[in-house]
Amino acid sequence: MAEYRLDCLGEACPVPLLKTQKKMETLKVGDILIVEIDHSCAVKNVPEWARKEGYNVEIEEVDDGQWEIYIEKTK
Amino acid sequence: MKLQDNPYYKKLLKDPWSYTAGAVILALLNIGLFASTGKPWGVTTPFSYWGAWIYKALGGNPESWFYFQQKAHAEAIKAGFWMDGHSVSNLGIIFGAFLATLLASQFKIKKIKSWKQVVAAILGGLLMGYGARISFGCNIGALFSGVASMSLHGWVFMIFIFVGAFIGSKLLVKYFM
Amino acid sequence: MGETRIEVSTRAKTKKKKVNQIPFGVALLIAIIGVGFFAANKSPKSALMWIFGVALGYTLQRSRFCFTASMRDPVLTGSTSLTKAVVIAIAAATVGFSSIQYAAFLKDPSKIPGNISPVGLHTAIGAILFGIGMVIAGGCASGTLMRVGEGFMMQWLSLVFFIIGSLWGAHDFGWWSKNLISKTKPVFLPNVLGWPLALLVQFGLLLVIYIVADWYGNKNVNE
Repeated sequence: MAEYRLDCLGEACPVPLLKTQKKMETLKVGDILIVEIDHSCAVKNVPEWARKEGYNVEIEEVDDGQWEIYIEKTK
Repeated sequence: MKLQDNPYYKKLLKDPWSYTAGAVILALLNIGLFASTGKPWGVTTPFSYWGAWIYKALGGNPESWFYFQQKAHAEAIKAGFWMDGHSVSNLGIIFGAFLATLLASQFKIKKIKSWKQVVAAILGGLLMGYGARISFGCNIGALFSGVASMSLHGWVFMIFIFVGAFIGSKLLVKYFM
Repeated sequence: MGETRIEVSTRAKTKKKKVNQIPFGVALLIAIIGVGFFAANKSPKSALMWIFGVALGYTLQRSRFCFTASMRDPVLTGSTSLTKAVVIAIAAATVGFSSIQYAAFLKDPSKIPGNISPVGLHTAIGAILFGIGMVIAGGCASGTLMRVGEGFMMQWLSLVFFIIGSLWGAHDFGWWSKNLISKTKPVFLPNVLGWPLALLVQFGLLLVIYIVADWYGNKNVNE
């Protein structure tokens, strides 16, 4: 069970989601990816995509206008 | 209990609304605009007026251009900012979004991260400005309000903006990521 | 589907101190009301447009609505949820718009209100330029304004060049008008097809786009 971080701070849509999609492909089942973002739209589209894929997702607001999205690769 | 943890505050001001809720509210607001002012929502035409006012302040003479000799445009740049409805609503959009982010306690200045973003912003801005002038509108004026007005130009705009978005997506992945 | 809690070691790390921005929001709301009175002094319509603008900006931000994403996401990420939302918005607006237009049509068929502009090659060229621009700049016109308010410096820059581009387009408008636009006409669908058929075509096409978008969005997941 490894844990990875993906820094998407300052990136505009759709870059955070594209980077997340690419990164998730390289993960093994059980691994967790933490995506750091500050783009309000990405807080909606990254979790939406991950949930659709069937992954476990949690969002945490770490600062004003800054979030960490935890995605667990379940399959 | 702190206000930030109050479930009503979270629901009303913090959690994003669904896209469908947004769609219906935007449609109602656009209908309201159309019904009360006789003109549907539009965004890009005022940008040409803002440009003209700045150009004039710098000593230019945009009134001599064909575009600003059209009756509606000539009157608008003469009347000034507060008399142009869509200029005022554009400023309102900026402040409405600012208000929403502050009330959600999510405001943060996002700095430009790389030179790629600078190039993308400049190129994208120029393309949108020019494109909107010759096609009579943007995603709001031509697509949203244009199609809803049952105008053929709205439908044609929809088809070709998709073509443009397709090309733009390929460029984005190749050069700006 | 229950949300499984993900146990992550970094969870325990100390959070940064958050500033409560709500008081600033309340202060801004008061300032916005103040500007409303200032605008009303100029003209009542100006105040009305101010209120509509603030409401539109507020709604765009709260629902994270993005016209750019509705066109771009199907290509790049396979998501069509915003595409479907835009179709719903257009369909809902059509109901109100067509009622207003029909009332005007009954009074005087030669004066139909609404955004009805000449259609031709210039529409296609402009739309393609606009489409490329909005994807690389990360926001169309309304999206750029909304992100200016959200504090994205990238969109502050793109707004400046949006204005320059508009001025450039206005400068060249004479050429486009002479060579392309003046040879074309605005087409109001009910004038060509008649009201019943026009409404049928309008809602029929929107429904088809919605169904295709829904199918495409699901197809990408099941693969």
